[in-house]
Amino acid sequence: MICWMFPGQPIAFSGAPYDDIEFSEITRICQESTGCNPLESGTSASNFSHNVRLQLLGTCVSLYRSKQLTKQGVGPDLIAEHSMGIYPALAASGSIDSATALELTCRIGVAMAKMGMQREYALGCVIGISCAPLEAIAANNGVHIANYNTSQHFLLAGERKNIDAALAEAGASGAFSATVFPCDAPLHTPLIAEIAGDVEHIVAEYSFRDPQIPLIEHIDQTTLTAATIPSFLLDELCRPVYWDTTYRALRSRGVTLFQEVGAGKALSKFNRWIDSET
Amino acid sequence: MSDELIPKVKQMIIESLRIEGMSPDEIETDAPLFGEGLGLDSIDALQLVVAMEKEFGVVVPDAATGSTVFASARSMAAYIAENRK
Repeated sequence: MICWMFPGQPIAFSGAPYDDIEFSEITRICQESTGCNPLESGTSASNFSHNVRLQLLGTCVSLYRSKQLTKQGVGPDLIAEHSMGIYPALAASGSIDSATALELTCRIGVAMAKMGMQREYALGCVIGISCAPLEAIAANNGVHIANYNTSQHFLLAGERKNIDAALAEAGASGAFSATVFPCDAPLHTPLIAEIAGDVEHIVAEYSFRDPQIPLIEHIDQTTLTAATIPSFLLDELCRPVYWDTTYRALRSRGVTLFQEVGAGKALSKFNRWIDSET
Repeated sequence: MSDELIPKVKQMIIESLRIEGMSPDEIETDAPLFGEGLGLDSIDALQLVVAMEKEFGVVVPDAATGSTVFASARSMAAYIAENRK
């Protein structure tokens, strides 16, 4: 059984990821539907934050990769997603089209970017410490665990000064590495409630079809339907990503082959770690 | 002495990181493992830390030490030779 996994936002730009007509077509659709080509740095791009452009690039790459795999006759039996990977995952499942996936990525990204104009937020990647001590560190410093990726790989989110303090404490507590990344908004935390109304309004403007391929979400590992997708799109921004649990659930459903459909190989590496513990 | 460990280190890298279609000979002894070389990242680093401890009983305590140890297959072998019990 094959599962396509759609990863979240890439960490950085690394030039044009693909130099062919198909990728150019995806970026053209992106330009038309959002007003932004994530690979261009001209005037249109200056209207969007660095992170929104990265989010759009991630969706473009995922859409491209899924089209390439489909062309090769490799289709999934199940689809899974991580964080902002939900939008291309919805497209791959047949719930929405590519242009809508890009529009949603952009509009929700822009809503989050507005949060970053009020306060400075950051993400903290913590590796090599277990969940219980990190939860205590997060609570001590007023930040949240945004991603539970494996037993030893986590992402914190919150205000920049609090993230810096939490990372220092994690390092002192024996974490192997603790790295800060700037971000627009504290994604996957209750702090997103500040823009919940905006996100609800955006999502309400779209209609969603039932996925043609089962799409498993990363909070409770349920199969999304046309009826549950709108509330999930808000819920997922306010609650953590439980990738460890999601991967194990997919395994227990009988998945034997995982294909990462997007930029990078982070999810495959998390899966490798989880496998090494079982 | 640490040179003798280099083939074992390369094998450990391939196995622990599940690098498919690559033989130990294809990993250049002095090439950087992170960034430009094999393109490894911090997720891979922790996997290598665990593998080194399991296979050689050698601990890499933090990322700062890791950045020196994991510079290349040769530096990994040297660290193991210096620190294994």
